[in-house]
Amino acid sequence: MACLFVIQGRDQGKRFELEASLTGVGREATNAIRLHDVEVSRRHAQVAHEEGQFQLIDLGSSNGTFVNEQRVDRHVLQSGDRVQVGRTLLIFTGNEDRSSVDLAAEVDIVQPGPAAEGSRIVSSISREQGRQIFSDAELSASPWLARARSNLQIMYRTALAVSHTLDIDQLLQRIMELIFEWVEADRGCVMLLDWESGEAIPKVFRSRRETRSSERLRISQTILDYVLEHREGVLTSDAREDERWDPAASILKLGVREAICVPMQGRYGMVGVIYIDTYTPPGQVVQNRHVNRFSEEHLKLMVAIGHQAALAVEDTSYYSALVQAERLAAVGQTIATLSHHVKNILQGIRGGSYLIEEGLKNTDTDLIRKGWNIVDKNQEKISNLVMDMLTFSKERQPERIPAQLNEVTGEVVELMQTRATTANVSLRWLPDTGMPVLQFDPDALHRAILNVVGNAIDACEKTSGGCVTVATQYVADAALARITVEDNGEGIAAEHLQKIFSLFESSKGSRGTGLGLPVSQKILREHGGDIHVTSTPEVGSRFTLEFPAITDKPEEAPLEGGGLETLAGAPPPDRGDDRLDEVTQALPPANERS
Amino acid sequence: MPSCSAAIPRPSVLIVDRSEDSREVLRTVLEKRGVRTWEATEAQQGVELARRHHPQVIVLDLDAGDAEQDEIRNQYQAESNEHAAYLVVIGRSQSYEQILPKDRILAKPYHYAPLVRTIETLLSSLAGP
Repeated sequence: MACLFVIQGRDQGKRFELEASLTGVGREATNAIRLHDVEVSRRHAQVAHEEGQFQLIDLGSSNGTFVNEQRVDRHVLQSGDRVQVGRTLLIFTGNEDRSSVDLAAEVDIVQPGPAAEGSRIVSSISREQGRQIFSDAELSASPWLARARSNLQIMYRTALAVSHTLDIDQLLQRIMELIFEWVEADRGCVMLLDWESGEAIPKVFRSRRETRSSERLRISQTILDYVLEHREGVLTSDAREDERWDPAASILKLGVREAICVPMQGRYGMVGVIYIDTYTPPGQVVQNRHVNRFSEEHLKLMVAIGHQAALAVEDTSYYSALVQAERLAAVGQTIATLSHHVKNILQGIRGGSYLIEEGLKNTDTDLIRKGWNIVDKNQEKISNLVMDMLTFSKERQPERIPAQLNEVTGEVVELMQTRATTANVSLRWLPDTGMPVLQFDPDALHRAILNVVGNAIDACEKTSGGCVTVATQYVADAALARITVEDNGEGIAAEHLQKIFSLFESSKGSRGTGLGLPVSQKILREHGGDIHVTSTPEVGSRFTLEFPAITDKPEEAPLEGGGLETLAGAPPPDRGDDRLDEVTQALPPANERS
Repeated sequence: MPSCSAAIPRPSVLIVDRSEDSREVLRTVLEKRGVRTWEATEAQQGVELARRHHPQVIVLDLDAGDAEQDEIRNQYQAESNEHAAYLVVIGRSQSYEQILPKDRILAKPYHYAPLVRTIETLLSSLAGP
């Protein structure tokens, strides 16, 4: 999909897909590409899409539309084109329709054989040899090679220094360190252009010596203006002799002896400037001829470094903008999803309240009870939603205390009994009577089991004779505690199984928040365990919640350091799956009981 | 001999809504007022019920399945035209805004009292003077 990506301006990071045949660009809300930039006209331009071509058309805007720095009225966009409207810079990316077939048609890999080309290898060089290409012996024979090596090394190290960082301040710091390593500057500063005001804002300053307050770096505005306007680096070895600075005479006033100021010219425009100098305070300026510390070579090098630095700044800004855009999209999705659920719950509460109101008006207790049930149900829903949100949002360690897994699971079964009955689903509870006291977070496990059991009941709603079986199991030899929740409901298709633990993925439509299973999985993982699921569509699903069984046996094997926790000990006498004792609460479906 | 009142059909409403709570509230309140109701959880299921029972008013929640699909919308519109049924839509949709008067579109979250009043008004307009 062709798109325009904002890389500079208030809307930095936004990506606009060009889906429609006409896409408006402007400040007004009616534009598909709405830019919050006061220098953009209300209806500034439009992108017309016709037969695979995207034509940018200026709509008589006050400040004009620019493509690759050229003002245009109409322009057919190509991938990589830079579109400037007001202070906003966008990059156009077209439809990439070059297939590998196209490329294959242009390249032939000739197989060995009689028809092969007659090329032969006449020379080869290993990587090691390549590294020594500028060996000292070679260099002493050629000053050009020595310079070339030196410059190449600088550029190579600059490229390395500016890669792999996402922090612009850190990036600029590295650049300045490199400059100080290679150039005999006393002080240096990197300034980035503020995209809104156009001003150069100092971002990094470095001094070779300790700087006294009276020696603050004062940069001549004349130099800055020249560099920014002409986009060329300047070297001044003695400002008073350089006729370009005579009118302003600011350098003389500032006492700068030698300075290099280079533009940071990137792919998309000026990013900033790098300024270095050797500084002598005005009172100490030596009248005699002095040896220049900066040369033309230094200037060339600084221009090259400035360009590299600008590219890196652009890449870092671009990447940061992408990350920011993704974050915003994720936050937006989260808010939208949660708002939707809250809205549904609110609707339920309003409905219940309305019934209560009607019941009070007509003294109809049935109506009041019905209304209250709806309010109560929705109150429970919002409570669950909030608890799930809190559980999911926090990284935490489970608060392990000695607890009975059967008790916790039994509470869930009891709590869900009404819901199961309403849905005509029978809920069976099979606790393992040999379950020892374990160390776990009972509140968290309660939540994890509740979500899974609730899903199982929902999955059986459309099944005649729906049945959910909840069981616990203590697997002593593997030191595991297990809760299984099995249903004979609609089941989950194989392609959806992978997604069920993803946030906000729900197969329950507006009833599901898409938070339940991710939360349950998180809780089990916090306990060092996990959830496994097997499912067959139209047959049912089995969810297994497992976590390491840490038993509370202080008198048998206390841990070193006085700890009370021990790993589960030897297995109890032969206890297989068939030992599960079905106890109580095996209720028939409600329709059979009535 | 049949009485004159036998010729007047019993007021009827089809509720198409995935929310069990919303269906229950409307069903309870309308039935208390002597209105016959049918319920569907999906838009397509609602079309089928409408064709079978020809309700006088259809309350359609746009979250109910594919309610916003052109085909489904056309089917509801056709049912509404052929059998003089009033369609009341819950939720925002430009396509329904083009075919329905504003007072028959309710944004969510909504209050039930105005919805019930709208339904009553529509039913009484069908019942005649």
